[in-house]
Amino acid sequence: MTGQLRAISELDRVIHEPGRLMIVALLAAVKECDFVYLLHETEMNKGNLSSHLARLEEAGYVEIEKTYRGKVPQTLLRLTRAGRVAFDQYRKGLKTAF
Amino acid sequence: MKDEIQNYMDRPKRYDNIDGTGEMGMGLMMLAFALSGCLNAILPDNHWWNTIGGVLVMYAVLIPALCLGYWGGKAIKKHITWPRTGYVAYGPNRRSRWIAAATVCLVAAVIGGGLVCLMLLARRHGAISLLGIGTLAVYAATYGFWIFFLGRGHSWKWGVLVFMTIGLLAIGLPVGGDYFKVWRQVALFVGLVWLASGAATLYLYLRHTQPPAQGAE
Repeated sequence: MTGQLRAISELDRVIHEPGRLMIVALLAAVKECDFVYLLHETEMNKGNLSSHLARLEEAGYVEIEKTYRGKVPQTLLRLTRAGRVAFDQYRKGLKTAF
Repeated sequence: MKDEIQNYMDRPKRYDNIDGTGEMGMGLMMLAFALSGCLNAILPDNHWWNTIGGVLVMYAVLIPALCLGYWGGKAIKKHITWPRTGYVAYGPNRRSRWIAAATVCLVAAVIGGGLVCLMLLARRHGAISLLGIGTLAVYAATYGFWIFFLGRGHSWKWGVLVFMTIGLLAIGLPVGGDYFKVWRQVALFVGLVWLASGAATLYLYLRHTQPPAQGAE
């Protein structure tokens, strides 16, 4: 296996999926944001976004907090420390691969 | 692909001005600056405003304007932007802080160096105040930087930049580029352009977005 192929095969599969990569890249640039913001930026539907977030939460990369803004329910999302580390490693891996 | 990832990472930064609040804040600040200058020009030279105490009063004009820009912007975000397109909190990012600080130092050094060069050149060629022209150029460049980093989604803003540049030239050239003769008019014009640009951004934002249904999450 060549170095490039090995680098590609070592990329984090959880982050590598385009939808989740988009979410993680957005979350990496902020302290926290809400579900509505991710809907707006990613242009995914609610079901898709929810399932991607559930997958990222399961991997320990995203923290989801259900709260209220006044009387309106709000879902706050932030990248965990593990998520930031994984994203940094993913970017380094991508750089090596290409 | 790398660029695409970076593009997504830059989006939250641009989102901060999706509603034009930053531009309106800048506009208010410049208008307050122009207002204090106009008061300074209207009142007689021996008036207490034009003595050292006037500096305090200048702050009394500037600080409310800054507060209005800050709290007004916060109110727009809380009641309009966040319910429509979402809430974002920008955290402390040491790396980007250092990059921002280094960029500000570099830009300040380039501008300062440029103005000093213009001053030296102006001594040789006294017909037109190159320092004044340089200062006017800084106003246009600031708006240009703003569009480039935060307003790239609105191509019409480049037209506003052209309008601002033409306006600054129209104000500055009749007095030979002597900025100090026309700084009040410049502040008023630039403030109005920033404010109008921010208001147009807010109008377009309201036109193109809908508030989400309650409990949509």
